[in-house]
Amino acid sequence: MVMTTILEIIFIILLAGIIGLFFLGLSRKIMARIHWRYGPPITQPLIDIIKLFNQTSMSHGFLFNFGIIFSLAGSVVVLLFLPFGRICPLSDSGGLLVILYLMLIAPLGLALSGGEAANPYTSIGISRKLLLAFGYELPLLLILLTVMTHYNTISIVEIVNKQFQAGWSFQHLSLLLPGIAYILILPAILGFRPFELIQAPQEISSGPMAEYSGKFLALTTIQHAFNIFISISLFTNLFLGGAANPGYFFLKILAVFVIFLFANAVFPRFRIEQAIKYLWRWPSILAFAGLIIVLITGKNF
Amino acid sequence: MDRNNLGKWLKSPGKMGQKYSLHALYFCTGCGIIEIPPSITTRWDAERFGVIPVATPRQANLFLITGYVSVKTLRYIIRSYEQMPEPKFTVGFGSCPINGGMYWDSYNTIKHLDKYIPVDGWIAGCMPRPEAVFVAVTHLWTLIDKGMADGYNKYRANYQYYRENQEKILGKLEWPPLFSKNIKHEEYRTIA
Amino acid sequence: MKNTGQLLKEKLLLSFEDIQAEVSDEHRLTVNCRKDTVITVLSFLNNSGYDHLALISCVDWIKDNVLELVYILTAYAEDKGKAKMNILVKTRITREKPGLHTVIPVFENAEPYERELHELYGIHFMGHPRLTPLFLEREYKIPPFRKDFDTRKYVQEVFDQIPFVEDKKAEK
Repeated sequence: MVMTTILEIIFIILLAGIIGLFFLGLSRKIMARIHWRYGPPITQPLIDIIKLFNQTSMSHGFLFNFGIIFSLAGSVVVLLFLPFGRICPLSDSGGLLVILYLMLIAPLGLALSGGEAANPYTSIGISRKLLLAFGYELPLLLILLTVMTHYNTISIVEIVNKQFQAGWSFQHLSLLLPGIAYILILPAILGFRPFELIQAPQEISSGPMAEYSGKFLALTTIQHAFNIFISISLFTNLFLGGAANPGYFFLKILAVFVIFLFANAVFPRFRIEQAIKYLWRWPSILAFAGLIIVLITGKNF
Repeated sequence: MDRNNLGKWLKSPGKMGQKYSLHALYFCTGCGIIEIPPSITTRWDAERFGVIPVATPRQANLFLITGYVSVKTLRYIIRSYEQMPEPKFTVGFGSCPINGGMYWDSYNTIKHLDKYIPVDGWIAGCMPRPEAVFVAVTHLWTLIDKGMADGYNKYRANYQYYRENQEKILGKLEWPPLFSKNIKHEEYRTIA
Repeated sequence: MKNTGQLLKEKLLLSFEDIQAEVSDEHRLTVNCRKDTVITVLSFLNNSGYDHLALISCVDWIKDNVLELVYILTAYAEDKGKAKMNILVKTRITREKPGLHTVIPVFENAEPYERELHELYGIHFMGHPRLTPLFLEREYKIPPFRKDFDTRKYVQEVFDQIPFVEDKKAEK
């Protein structure tokens, strides 16, 4: 039993890394095709990471090194609580609440690390990142609360199982509004346009990444890949019914990712105060309305 | 192009990575920068060679100096170059960094850039076409393959000479030496 | 019917004594004045509606041994029927130790222009708050935009004297 759990943990971390890097490569290729370019090979992020590990890297002190490891570890730990198909190594130990707490570790780790670098662009990027996290946490909390109330459980595995019996969450009228709200905040969690204001290379020199070189940049790239995998998996598990096997699950997250990529390719960028205003208005209103509907119609399960 | 040659990747991953992932820092001095937007966007698309622009010197390993270098600009070129992680490659774009170009008798323009920082390759012309950037990139690949693009090693080995030249033009430099002054020239060479 | 330039010229000639004004075409009025009346002429023109100092330029007349400063004025708001006017206020100062009063009290945007002229022609503007270097990194004995500054000789003396690193290594 312990052996299977350990194997599952290793398997899911490797798989998430590979899928995340594949998504990064795919995003560059699809973006290029939308711009009418040929685009880099799909393995380009892997090539970049190999190169970055073979470069010298400048450190700016202990916290600088520690913060990156911290945020990467945060992302890895979240992975273990998310069901991937039927694989979920730590399904007994936690639920949505744990995921909610652990998802904040990644931005906090980057904030610690960037603060040590003492670059003004880094500080601006971090303040934007934390503000944006503050912005999407409110609708995200409301959405998760609605889902938990509707299914009367905090276990994400149980939510997926109930969706096998009763159809996707999107098919329930009471969860339609929270689902739409999640779609509206997902670009902010992914750091896609129109919420690309954290990195914003033309504006603040790639923000929190400004001081990273060599292996530090490689680790942040891997963390970004994990982050993409986590946020899309959470959405798929909660609203698109999860999946019975990993292959089907992969197809689902691929479809969601490509749709958000198209949005990423055509949108301009919000300013930070516009982003906060937007996040606290429409997604929050929708999620709140969904919560009230769920409370009125009563528990279905 | 041997990007899909798995044997080479297993043999020397570092070298292959440097070849096919050139993160470029464009130092936009003068008119050369006008050739860069077409070369990285739809018409010529540098990204298919793995060349993408990055925002800061810390993330870059290809330094492209596009245009004339005035004395004031030289200070920031040197600072940016020293901030880049090794291995790093410099390419001078246009005739101005090569020998001054049309500013050959200007009172305020650097004539030979390679007196102050090492340069691995030149793109001659006034102006070079965007295709010339790709010729330079493919040429740089051959140089990296043969181990001849070693400007950063040269900088390490001859740092005191470079620093003397820089101080002759800019006066006393306000930043500390990149490599310690206590080491003699011979020892730099052994490090490199 | 006199045009705007002619009217302004007559007004100027009435107000100031040793001043020459000339209307070269309907868009241009050239005013020559002494260096100590520049500031009063400029403030007079400023009050007559020409409230934009577009540029301060300088010409080095090395044969006459003078530097000629040119203040170019235009108006922000053009009246209807009034032709668009450029007014060139010219003044001549000696090349040795050139100096005159700053026009910042009249036109505040003159500050960078005067700093530039101080740097490139060596003109000292009295009353200027900070005549610090603006563009140049090195110090020059003769200001580089003067006609007697030999750029080619300067390049040979400074930039060509710096050796290539390979040559330097070969020497030692």
